[in-house]
Amino acid sequence: MLKVNQLVTVGALALGSMVASAKAADTVKVGVLHSLSGTMAISETSLRDVLLFTFDEINAKGGVLGKKIEPVVVDGASNWPLFAEKAKQLLEEDKVAVTFGCWTSVSRKSVLPVYEKNNGLLFYPVQYEGQEESQNVFYTAEAVNQQATPAIDYLLEQGYTKFYLIGTDYVYPQTTNLVLLEYLLSKKVPIENIGGGFKKDDSGKIISAGKYTPFGHTDYQQIISEIKQFAAGGKTAIVSTLNGDTNVPFFKEYAAAGLTAEIAPVVSFSISEDEFRGLPAKQLVGQLGCWTYFQSIKSDANKEFVKNFKKWLKETKVPGIVKEGRVTCSPMVLSYNGVYLWKAAVEKAGTFDVDAVRAALKSGLSFDGPGGKVTTQSNMHLTKNVFIGETKADGQFKILKEFKDVYGEPWLLGKFKAQ
Amino acid sequence: MLASDDARKIQLVASLAGESDNAIEPLLKAWREDALYLYEPTEGARVPVLLVGEKDDNDGRAAVRVDTGASLVDADGKSLRLVAADLDAVEHTSALRRAMKGVLDLLDVASPDRKKRLQAIQTIGFSQDAEKLPALQKRLDMENDAAVKRSLREAIAVTRLKDPAANVKLSALKELQELHSLSSYDLIRNAMRDAETVGDKQTAAAAKLALSAIDKHKSTINFFGTLFRGLSLGSILLIVAIGLAITFGLMGVINMAHGEMIAVGAYTTYLVENVFGAGITIPFFGFSLSIPGIHASGVFYQSYFLFALPLSFLAAALVGIGLERSIIRFLYRRPLESLLATWGVSLLLQQGLKLMFGSNNVQVSSPSYLSGNWTVNDIIFGWNRVFVIGFAGLIVFGVWLILTKTPLGLLIRSVMQNRNMASCMGVRTERVNMLTFGLGSGLAGLAGAFISQIGNVGPSLGQNYIVDCFMTVVVGGVGNLAGTIYSAIGIGLVDQSLQQILLNPVLGKILVLVAIILFLQWRPSGLFVTRSRNLDD
Repeated sequence: MLKVNQLVTVGALALGSMVASAKAADTVKVGVLHSLSGTMAISETSLRDVLLFTFDEINAKGGVLGKKIEPVVVDGASNWPLFAEKAKQLLEEDKVAVTFGCWTSVSRKSVLPVYEKNNGLLFYPVQYEGQEESQNVFYTAEAVNQQATPAIDYLLEQGYTKFYLIGTDYVYPQTTNLVLLEYLLSKKVPIENIGGGFKKDDSGKIISAGKYTPFGHTDYQQIISEIKQFAAGGKTAIVSTLNGDTNVPFFKEYAAAGLTAEIAPVVSFSISEDEFRGLPAKQLVGQLGCWTYFQSIKSDANKEFVKNFKKWLKETKVPGIVKEGRVTCSPMVLSYNGVYLWKAAVEKAGTFDVDAVRAALKSGLSFDGPGGKVTTQSNMHLTKNVFIGETKADGQFKILKEFKDVYGEPWLLGKFKAQ
Repeated sequence: MLASDDARKIQLVASLAGESDNAIEPLLKAWREDALYLYEPTEGARVPVLLVGEKDDNDGRAAVRVDTGASLVDADGKSLRLVAADLDAVEHTSALRRAMKGVLDLLDVASPDRKKRLQAIQTIGFSQDAEKLPALQKRLDMENDAAVKRSLREAIAVTRLKDPAANVKLSALKELQELHSLSSYDLIRNAMRDAETVGDKQTAAAAKLALSAIDKHKSTINFFGTLFRGLSLGSILLIVAIGLAITFGLMGVINMAHGEMIAVGAYTTYLVENVFGAGITIPFFGFSLSIPGIHASGVFYQSYFLFALPLSFLAAALVGIGLERSIIRFLYRRPLESLLATWGVSLLLQQGLKLMFGSNNVQVSSPSYLSGNWTVNDIIFGWNRVFVIGFAGLIVFGVWLILTKTPLGLLIRSVMQNRNMASCMGVRTERVNMLTFGLGSGLAGLAGAFISQIGNVGPSLGQNYIVDCFMTVVVGGVGNLAGTIYSAIGIGLVDQSLQQILLNPVLGKILVLVAIILFLQWRPSGLFVTRSRNLDD
């Protein structure tokens, strides 16, 4: 009896491994590393959704190098050490060819050593502060000069002379605002026209510019009254890197103090169409946004993308996907572009080997995505178009200006010198 | 006007300034806002059109020709319906937009709308364009509104700062000094620097005087502003903590689910708002519960908040009573277990809210009477804040009335002082416990309704406030309602003053917490100690 049992087990195992190897022959494993629970889940699940959609779209057309993409979705759970563990699992156990993932800078920094040690490849899709250029990360994300400085260019062109910097207290706003301070000074904006306050170290060097509030801050009374006094002196714009739901008390207080987009517009770098699902868009009408993609772009490629994504949402059977009221936004499109760029690189290299794929990526591949043409650069960043938009009541943006083919430059601190 | 050359266009637009045609304003506005379209008939030249009227089923709207004012008709004489998205908006560049804005501003100076006048006057003043002085002067003679008059004087004085004549400059500076004009601070400073570089000592001194007067005015504003903000923050703390002062302070239940009672109140407000609007569908544990809306509009819609207040009190009170009946009544003698049990309930309620309303925050729009402000001498009093302060006063008064002037209050006090003795005297302590807990929870619900007006409404709303609540009650002295009031206002004032002085919201909060720790070392039972002969105390 025992023997029979053992035989059966062995047989089953053998069969299983045969099936597995047969499967391995025509699929390639691709990791998806996003927070599907915890505070970041609201934003990051959208990226998981768009990645699964892209894989299905590619698989329907024959896959990559004749192999179907087999997604391995893991949950980082908004827990940064867990991100590193999950990355290790993806690379060492699942042996994925590439990973698409991470949202916050701290999650990226936490998985970075894992990717460098195992020589993996990570595609990172969300606007970030720069000052980093790993050979194991491809940054489809907006660098500071693809979002913040074009927005300042636009505001200067519109005749704004005073700028108030405000953000949530973590690395992205802090670094971005330091770059912006240097940028504004290089554009001959006097330092007294830059609001929010400065922190200096002992030698008098400015180490922090702007006003910062913690995550989940609710009391913006004092800050708004400071802004109101600052803005009394004429053409003022508020440059906001406030994250997530702190925007609600901020904008409610802003409106209650009688400030409007005509008096002192707010340009936000962290509010995209997807965030408007949890924000009162009506109260933000006329405020500005700056991204490398807006859902309202009127191109055939974008119309096609939005249509196909919505269709996929309707049909998909993946559990836990929200089907109602969905929109597309820049991080989603950058994830989408990332997958296609990886596919192009693999096809150019003729192999899934990371070194060969990296070399192909560095050689300058192009893809016509929903936001226009994007081209990979030798510094692992992406040249793309930048758009300035104005918020409408339906949570979409009206595009005001487009900057064509902006080169992604990660090393910006100290680059802009005041003459 | 639809000339092809940009410079020509700008000139044409600027020349409109003198015209007094009523059609100019809507036309330029539409152009600036991309609502002026070019219609290309199958034959003939392109005509500029404005779309008017309501959208029909195909998003089409009736079109009006700009040049003749007649409706656009097709060959058969039927009026055409055009879809905005299919048409090309008439283009404009930023230089052109600026020219249009200049014209519109001058038109707006005479606008019947006071707000528009103020804004236009300010914009013109800051352009420091001497050519616009006569227009401002003329308006000043006609103007009756005090605020607009002040703004006109400011604009004129600011423009005169650029005047080459020294005595004109001096009188302008003097005027600005008298007006405490906050908005001209930067311009005066620039004038001072210019005067210093050319060595004009008299002007520089006058500018310095004006600046110091404005600085003084600023610190007065900040002082009273801080006082008001401290009071408003204190009122919020008071409103969220007063319910806990009853359930924890009087009843001795360490109620960790207090925050979720606040959330229940906030979500009730959200529901009421939606019922007044378009209705809402919520998944209710497997079922889909559809609540129709009554599609109210105007003043009636705006009044939803007044209906939401009692309803959020009731909803939270009912949840509280349910909680008391099912769990807490078994735990009156075991405060530590009540901590764990209510913590569990709090997690349950959070998940329940998530299942019903989703894990995203929901949007509650403020009624218009809560989103304006009242500005006295440059100090801003937001309506929502004034309302909160007033309501905090009302709630405190109401609670005081209930506890001291009603039979129920007498029973509550007796049961809270000594449950066994009251029971021996024939008081139905079970019922009193239930009602007291309901009252405390209901007050938390009211707090939720207010918080929906100033902050986020989400499933974890309660977590953000629970620590503040306990802090306020403990600092005030457990079991003492007056203590809660003083500690709430005190914490609010200290917090806002520190924020104003340090100009850093995080540091202020940390210092408040440090101060509270030190204070509790000194007076462990809080501001007001409730003395009793009870051996347990």
